[in-house]
Amino acid sequence: STGLALKTKDVVNITFVRANGDKIKTSGKVGDSLLDVVVNNNVDLDGFGACEGTLTCSTCHLIFKTSDFEKLPDKPGDEELDMLDLAYELTDTSRLGCQITLSKDMEGLEVHVPSTINDARAA
Amino acid sequence: MQKVLGRIQAQVLRSRATNALANVVRHEATSSRTAAKPAATSKEFRERQVRFNIKNEQTEGRPLYLDAQATTPMDPRVLDAMLPYLTNFYGNPHSRTHAYGWETESAVEKAREQVATLIGADPKEIIFTSGATESNNIAVKGVARFYGTKKRHVITTQTEHKCVLDSCRALENEGFKVTYLPVLANGLIDLQQLEETITSETSLVSIMTVNNEIGVRQPVDEIGKLCRSRRVFFHTDAAQAVGKVPLDVNAMNIDLMSISGHKIYGPKGVGALYVRRRPRVRLEPIQSGGGQERGLRSGTVPAPLAVGLGAAAELSLREMDYDKKWVDFLSNRLLDRISSALPHVIRNGDAKATYNGCLNLSFAYVEGESLLMALKDVALSSGSACTSASLEPSYVLRAIGTDEDLAHSSIRFGIGRFTTVEEVDYTADKCIKHVERLREMSPLWEMVQEGIDLKTIQWSQH
Repeated sequence: STGLALKTKDVVNITFVRANGDKIKTSGKVGDSLLDVVVNNNVDLDGFGACEGTLTCSTCHLIFKTSDFEKLPDKPGDEELDMLDLAYELTDTSRLGCQITLSKDMEGLEVHVPSTINDARAA
Repeated sequence: MQKVLGRIQAQVLRSRATNALANVVRHEATSSRTAAKPAATSKEFRERQVRFNIKNEQTEGRPLYLDAQATTPMDPRVLDAMLPYLTNFYGNPHSRTHAYGWETESAVEKAREQVATLIGADPKEIIFTSGATESNNIAVKGVARFYGTKKRHVITTQTEHKCVLDSCRALENEGFKVTYLPVLANGLIDLQQLEETITSETSLVSIMTVNNEIGVRQPVDEIGKLCRSRRVFFHTDAAQAVGKVPLDVNAMNIDLMSISGHKIYGPKGVGALYVRRRPRVRLEPIQSGGGQERGLRSGTVPAPLAVGLGAAAELSLREMDYDKKWVDFLSNRLLDRISSALPHVIRNGDAKATYNGCLNLSFAYVEGESLLMALKDVALSSGSACTSASLEPSYVLRAIGTDEDLAHSSIRFGIGRFTTVEEVDYTADKCIKHVERLREMSPLWEMVQEGIDLKTIQWSQH
């Protein structure tokens, strides 16, 4: 029973909001990236995570609420910023999902998925 | 007055000075000259005609080249580097699926590194463009527009290159506020004034490193330090400076830098823009497309040209000291020769904070265009190639407060890596000879010789 308690404690609930307003409720474990959450739960987001987290595509572009964005522990690195510069619908609170690691205090996090993605590898 | 005299001479030439016409001419000459001197007789006139005639002076062949600010000849070593990519290695550097793409890509990346090394940057911070004009456009418009929601002020100077000024004008049409800083009489900006002009609204300061017309070198390291401390981005148009004076983007706190290929003995049609990654400079790209060059400049990179720019950058870094000594030597030689033989020669721009390869001289009482015509066997310019189609005096010279008559009499001597001593000597001798000849024809010069201060004369509107 302690195992189960530990398990529920590690689970973080996440909501992806599509551009049309549809909400996809799902969950991931502490330590997973937001890209892992999408892949593990087969979340239906077209083209999401094309480069599998190698920072070469910008398809896992996600838009955070300002308050959530400011709480994120790490600032985006140069490589991530390079990719974000190529993303469509870039905002001041944009991040790449593959670079965001889930922690317990992210419980209930809501992130917006832009309506279009740009696979930067297809030059 | 000079013009009137010229017209008279032309008439004489045409009519072969038949007696009747000569009389008319003599009459005109007396009426147009207010000085008490008697008019020249037709005999004297003909003698002067012979003396001033330069009709048969033209030598065969092409003129020698002394316009290194307009463009430079391509170094043969640059062509050597480029040739394989113009022939056998023709792949698209962005092709990821075959060897043709890979080999070209690695050549382009090597070139990127060569350009980066020249200015102390990281290769990832270099994007290839079509030239400094495009780089300036991307930098000025791109930064201003990206940060335009919060900051709507841009600072530049009155002596910038036309493409920076025009980009700023475009921004003004979009509602941005632009400050065009004046320059001091030596062509340098006043740092104090720059500091006072920066506000919390300012997103970008754009000041060129070396001026293309008067060769003045702005204190970019101090400007960079100031901009960094005020958290304003600093862009510098270094087209005339890169590869000729040592530049380091980190030591000088430069956030964006424009580079041109054909000013550093590289190919025409290629340039580069340095965009700092840390602290990150973001900009809105002008050109949309496949997202090449970090998405800042879409479009296939012209691999042979990029390779040429890289080779030119490496050469100019390796030979910077050598080139500097040579250019300084020739420039001083030219200046010494001319100024020791001719009085009333004014050097435009600061004599110390300058790049010596660009020597801008005003020959008082001589019209610049006439001198250029006389020096047909020397390829020179009265200013920037971009504006030399118009006879308007240069806005750069006007900005440094040059009198209109002196601004009209300026010549820019552009000395480069391949200029020879013989060329400089020839130019100096020719220049001295023709300035003397033109001054002798000039009534203004005559008046100055007589001790009349031309500024006190009330010229009547005819």
